[in-house]
Amino acid sequence: MTSERFLALVAAYGADARRWPEAERALARAFAAAHPDVVAPALAEADAADALLQASRVAYPSMALRDRIIASAAGAGLKAHREGRRWLDRLVLALGAGWAAAACAGVVAGVMMTTWLTADVQAEAVLYQASLLGVDDAEVLG
Amino acid sequence: MALIADPDEDLVRRVGQGDPAAIQAMVARKLPRMLALAQRMLGDAVEAEDVAQDAMLRAWKQAPRWTPGQAKFDTWLHRVGLNLCYDRLRRRREVTTATPPDQPDTGPAPDRGLLAADVGARVDAALARLPDRQREAIVLCHYQELTNIEAAALMEVSVDALESLLSRGRRALRQALADIRPGAEGE
Repeated sequence: MTSERFLALVAAYGADARRWPEAERALARAFAAAHPDVVAPALAEADAADALLQASRVAYPSMALRDRIIASAAGAGLKAHREGRRWLDRLVLALGAGWAAAACAGVVAGVMMTTWLTADVQAEAVLYQASLLGVDDAEVLG
Repeated sequence: MALIADPDEDLVRRVGQGDPAAIQAMVARKLPRMLALAQRMLGDAVEAEDVAQDAMLRAWKQAPRWTPGQAKFDTWLHRVGLNLCYDRLRRRREVTTATPPDQPDTGPAPDRGLLAADVGARVDAALARLPDRQREAIVLCHYQELTNIEAAALMEVSVDALESLLSRGRRALRQALADIRPGAEGE
């Protein structure tokens, strides 16, 4: 690294080596260690500028601003409450499946009951017809 | 083209899926940076809030269709923030009268020393008076801590040009605030 390049680095990025470009940092540090008399005035000047820049303070975001921005996510099309609604979706699904199972059970029970009741009616009809004279069982039962 | 490693990649993906925790994490991570960028570029707290809010709104819209590996999300967001700042700076210039008003003397009263808040306010005022491009270079490199390559790419200049802007900006600040510098007497 040349003296000119070191001075240009410090003038642009300041005295803190952590701010120097990574690709040149090691070389610049080595140059500074080897030429303390050359680098000292430039580092002092840059350090004073760094201290001034550090005096600048900016406000931290207010809670109101944070809330507005978080709320704006939903307006921008992001489904911000999707995770929170998953339990509700699962509950609705479980209730739906239960209702469907109950409906199926009802249909099966209804069919079975109809068959059973029809058999009773048919048996009663047979007994009734058998009690009548001159009637063939085959006419009733078909 | 080589893929770019992005520390925000996973967060952006989850934001795009509408994960509320990710949205809050994104606000915590990026809003202070956007607000600081806008405050230092514009020197106006109210306008800075508007810019930060607008930039974050654009982040919400971009997240679902973000393609990882092509750019860093933070760099993209800075581009958005800077564009919004320049829109406002342009509007200001359009309404500025031909003769600029006298700059108020923001120096310290002769009978008192400088408090830290005074120094900060004077630095902010001096930053605001820098040419836009010099201020942008200092804000991106010093305050936002972007690398020189990232800052140069954002500003669409070479690294050499960026360094020139940084040097001139820092020198102008030192001159504007020479009375604060220890040992500046007699210069």
